[in-house]
Amino acid sequence: MRFAWTFAIAVVLACLVPLVSPNYMMTIIVEALIWGIFAMSLDLLVGYTRLYSFGHVAAYGLGAYTSALLLLHFNLPLPIAIILAVAISSLIAVPIAWVCTRTHGVSFAMLTLAFAQLGYAMLYRFKEFTGGSNGLAGIPRPAGPFGLEVFQGKIGYFYLVVFCLFGSYLLCRLLVNSPFGSVLAGIRENEAKTSALGYNTRAYKRAVVIASYGFGSLAGALYAPFAGFASPELFFWLISGKVLIMVIVGGAGTLIGPIIGGIFFIFLEHQLAEFTDLWPLIFGAIFIAFVMLAPQGIWGLVTSAASERRRSPGDAASESEDVTGASA
Amino acid sequence: MPLLECTGLTRRFGALVAVDNVTMTVEPGEIRAVIGPNGAGKSTLFNVITGVLKPTDGEALFEGERISGLPVYEVVQRGISRTFQLTHLFPQLSARENVRIAAQAKLKGRWAMTGGAAVFEQSQHLADAALERLRLTRFADTPARNLSHGDQRLLEIAMAVAQGPTLLMLDEPTQGLSIEETEHAIGILQQMLAGGDLTVILVEHDMEVVFKLAHRITVLHRGQVIADGLPGEVKADAQVQSAYLGGFE
Repeated sequence: MRFAWTFAIAVVLACLVPLVSPNYMMTIIVEALIWGIFAMSLDLLVGYTRLYSFGHVAAYGLGAYTSALLLLHFNLPLPIAIILAVAISSLIAVPIAWVCTRTHGVSFAMLTLAFAQLGYAMLYRFKEFTGGSNGLAGIPRPAGPFGLEVFQGKIGYFYLVVFCLFGSYLLCRLLVNSPFGSVLAGIRENEAKTSALGYNTRAYKRAVVIASYGFGSLAGALYAPFAGFASPELFFWLISGKVLIMVIVGGAGTLIGPIIGGIFFIFLEHQLAEFTDLWPLIFGAIFIAFVMLAPQGIWGLVTSAASERRRSPGDAASESEDVTGASA
Repeated sequence: MPLLECTGLTRRFGALVAVDNVTMTVEPGEIRAVIGPNGAGKSTLFNVITGVLKPTDGEALFEGERISGLPVYEVVQRGISRTFQLTHLFPQLSARENVRIAAQAKLKGRWAMTGGAAVFEQSQHLADAALERLRLTRFADTPARNLSHGDQRLLEIAMAVAQGPTLLMLDEPTQGLSIEETEHAIGILQQMLAGGDLTVILVEHDMEVVFKLAHRITVLHRGQVIADGLPGEVKADAQVQSAYLGGFE
């Protein structure tokens, strides 16, 4: 019940943002929320299953290019194009997941990276289709037969992204709190034991990789029509590192943490970029500081501070609950 | 029909024959101990039966069906649950959640990606019963990593028991325990087995444990079965004595 109230308040607050924010800020706000979705999608792998993907940009890029191509060639209503882009990207993720989950640890990280690089290379190989290094420009946001021209404006688009953010958060939350999510926690804690208990761990890992790519592609599919273009930059491997940092600094294994991490870093990047070209240096310093001093991340700090305040003497029973997060 | 039937089960690692032509049968309701000196192939035999390792030769039949070559998780689904020689747990999760995840593995709704209230309720129920059976209820909310080594060993057994296995395989349940902890564990295991509802194969080093718990004993030496019989017979066997029970080579 407390969750329902907190969630409702968060939704209302988010919906009020355009009323108080200057119009020029809306671009970066939308971008930040999209990155929140993207970082959250990676948290399913990193935080909940301890599968370190170094190629999560593939999900973003796939979503971006698929939605761009659908919008350019088929003139579909924007929401339909986005849903289709997520569905197609998830389908493409099936063979990727199949191959990557045959491995563990570093090999998994390297294979995901390899698939992302493969996608990057294919953008240049199939120039007539993808625009090569020029990318795809002039992506429309068609209103379609239902008169959805509300998404053509910045504010309308903002609400679409807010809807997708909260919607995918709820779906991810359902997922990690389900019996399936418990198995992911088992894989995170001890994969060999999980398998010895009778779970086909590879199948569970395949499923979570596909889900993670699906939500990641939603972020990309939202970004391309918003920016109006898709370029190979959206497939560039450095993005994989950036989003991984967002997850870890935000607080892996919490869903909310990575959303905050994503929003935080996008704002930081925009603010710092006005002053200095050395903003990645500050990025790096923040990352190192968190890993060394607060590995539980921003959200971990917030929740532990909150529970510290709430805890009265002799009330240590709730302590173990924070650790698992995923248990029902 | 015997519950488990191994015929000519063999596992080679290069030139080493860790399990050498092992033939044994386990009847329903039996408590079988597998003993032997270090390196006799006891754990390898466990791993070959449960699918962790593929046999080089021979086969294992469970309830009349061949299980050799099946993946580990499929063997569990057929009804064999096991513990490991080195404790395998989910260290960050509570003892109850450890057992609950184990119980969930045998339930139909284990794949449910949303909701699953019925699955949680049912597995919670099984978990609490198993914790009670292993006298661990007071540690239910404690993260597994904070339990003593002895309780961790028992927790792993609770995880296997919660799955309601047809055959329970325990790999050295008292491994690494002090004398007091061993006595404590034996007491709990005796109570657990007194129900008579479990068929157990148990690898053990500690002779005291074996003679207290087992109905029948199989003695392995250099991968081969050198004796198989009632505890009294095995104790009296000259070959066993020279190979294991205090004898030297």
